[in-house]
Amino acid sequence: MTIKEYLESIGVLFETNEEALRFLNQAEVIDFLSAKKDNLPKEADETKSDETRNPIDENIIEEIFYVEEDIPLKSSDLLDDPLAEDTSKTDDMAKFSDYSVPMNEDEKQQARDNAFAETVRSKHFTLQNAKVNQPYNFSVDPDFIQANHIGEFWFDGLEALGLEFDKADNTIKGIPTKSGDHKITWHYRHIDWTEGRPTFQRDLTLVVNPDPRSLWNNTPTSTDIPFYKPDCDKAFRKVGAKSGFLGLRKEERKDMVAASQRGRSHAHGGSPRDDDFAFHFDEKNEWYVLVVADGAGSAKYSRRGSEIACHTTIDVCRKALEVSSDNLEQLIAGFKKEDSQENRKKVGDLIYQVLGAAVFKSYKNIEEEAKNSDSELRDFSTTLLMTICKKFKFGWFVASFWVGDGGIGIYDKNTQFLKVMGEPDGGEFAGQTRFLTMPEIIQPAEIYRRLRFGLVDDFTALVLMTDGITDPKFETDANLMRIEKWNSLWEDLSKEVDFENDVDCSNQLLAWLDFWSPGNHDDRTIAILY
Amino acid sequence: MRKLPVYLLLDTSGSMTGEPIEAVKNGIQVLVSSLRQDPYALETAYLSVITFNTNAQQIVPLTELSVFQMPDIQATGTTSLGDALSLLAKRADAEVTKTTLEQKGDWKPLVFIMTDGEPTDDWRKGLAEFKKQKFGIVVACAAGQHANTQVLGDITDVVVQLDTADSATIRAFFKWVSASVSLGSQKIESSGQEVTGLSELPPPPPEVNIVV
Repeated sequence: MTIKEYLESIGVLFETNEEALRFLNQAEVIDFLSAKKDNLPKEADETKSDETRNPIDENIIEEIFYVEEDIPLKSSDLLDDPLAEDTSKTDDMAKFSDYSVPMNEDEKQQARDNAFAETVRSKHFTLQNAKVNQPYNFSVDPDFIQANHIGEFWFDGLEALGLEFDKADNTIKGIPTKSGDHKITWHYRHIDWTEGRPTFQRDLTLVVNPDPRSLWNNTPTSTDIPFYKPDCDKAFRKVGAKSGFLGLRKEERKDMVAASQRGRSHAHGGSPRDDDFAFHFDEKNEWYVLVVADGAGSAKYSRRGSEIACHTTIDVCRKALEVSSDNLEQLIAGFKKEDSQENRKKVGDLIYQVLGAAVFKSYKNIEEEAKNSDSELRDFSTTLLMTICKKFKFGWFVASFWVGDGGIGIYDKNTQFLKVMGEPDGGEFAGQTRFLTMPEIIQPAEIYRRLRFGLVDDFTALVLMTDGITDPKFETDANLMRIEKWNSLWEDLSKEVDFENDVDCSNQLLAWLDFWSPGNHDDRTIAILY
Repeated sequence: MRKLPVYLLLDTSGSMTGEPIEAVKNGIQVLVSSLRQDPYALETAYLSVITFNTNAQQIVPLTELSVFQMPDIQATGTTSLGDALSLLAKRADAEVTKTTLEQKGDWKPLVFIMTDGEPTDDWRKGLAEFKKQKFGIVVACAAGQHANTQVLGDITDVVVQLDTADSATIRAFFKWVSASVSLGSQKIESSGQEVTGLSELPPPPPEVNIVV
């Protein structure tokens, strides 16, 4: 309640608070009040005696005491002398109860102090939230201090948290060490405080947020669950240099590395990794096959779905390439010579026989597993991203099939070449991706639509990844087509993974998968040919 | 980062004075401090508080949990539920990021409405604006016997009722809200899917009755 409102309640009306204050400054106030009193409602007069004075009245009186300090014209004249001398006090004046009994100086001082304490207590004042183990710096607003006539102040309870209050610049500083909602006591004095006058206090809450990383548990998956698989996996395949005729013209060949890490969200609840990967190098015909798959989080046996898809793909591609490698190579050479519709179709048809068969067989194997375990096909829902590639004298041939989210890209750092081998099935709504296990996916036209192949001179890396990586690193499907995003990804990877020195870098890659990205804690799997 | 926006629409009309409003304040505190301990929620959930009495007011804009500060809440005035719904629609439109080519938008907001009386304004007008926005699950809670569950039923399919608006019951409701937000953020982070219906929320405590 403001002074204006209070005065209103006793029948003295003002336009603004300022006017009400000005009014209180006038010596004529008593005359004014005497005149106004006749207009007061009768009940008010009768009900409010000294004894029944309610606490709000008390506060208001304190506030008047408090406010008058601001006013240049000494209103002690008003509050002391005229009232004290006025022996013909009216009932409504009795509301200013304490005026009826002359106050001594101590009592007046006490009333002022209490009014000050109440005013400060009623003001909105909070401490900015902190984060554990991160520097905290909170300055108390000097305007707030000044406006409320606060003099010296300090805080209790900071030291235990690793914080301290710097009086010089009214700042709480330090690095909080304990998370939680902590009680801090704020002690404050009036600006005119002198020895003997009180120090007031108010309890505040300082929220120290935990480090989000510390909240994530890492609970191993129970090995008793059906289709158990380890919480992480990694592999490295050194293909190494090939010696030419009589050991001359030694030719460098690309290696493969892959890693798969269970997401923090799964680790927290002790649930298994749903992602999987596999790769294969065919020594005889020098075909590389790489595959990653992401089991749907909502499907109970998707970990098995992704596993079957990966292994089936390798299996089918290996066998199919043994049979058709020569034929395929001829067609590719023809396609290189002349990029005609006809040659393109010939290669496409044969690729369909290899990759399409892998897709179809993966679907069938999963269907079989579902039958054997009395489950639904959709319980094994998984994405599937695969490539086969081989180096020719005229460059690299790369073919791929891709269903679901995630991504496959051919990236060259030096030439800034990028080819994304398909379109992610992210869809308009998150989490509504397509899965291999949807019957419409294995329709021939649909498989054909998802096949990609082409020739490239060379590349820094051919990368296959699940959405546990594409979500944090690319965010949207459109960004997956942007070379800048691939540059940052490769730079980020190269910082932690040694791609230069023909060494097994799968441990480094696995460690890299632990990168921190708020809100992105899905399983992460990546396979790289480099 | 894709936020999971959570909007609390709280009736702060005069009838909530005393125990109920204190319980609501306490409830928000419990809600926030427990969500801060949950790694899923701490990273993704953002909270806003809209109160409604004679008017609706967004007293806390959509705020990250870690910087959320407890607002001052007082009970007074009438029950402008319609105003609250249209304010919600307006704020959600402004605060919830939409999906573009460059970035994935936020998850659909979760909304928890709590009221203890009949709306006193033209609530259908507010409802129409509310219906134009996309929300995830919307839970309407009738606190006590005086709330109009039929009106709430027009707002959402998920209506729950508290037998009394005492502190223990209101506290139980907020605990359930907290568990629902936890589960919602967990679902998003582990499977990329949103909670879509009451059946996917944690079972309500005995104090919270589902209105069919």
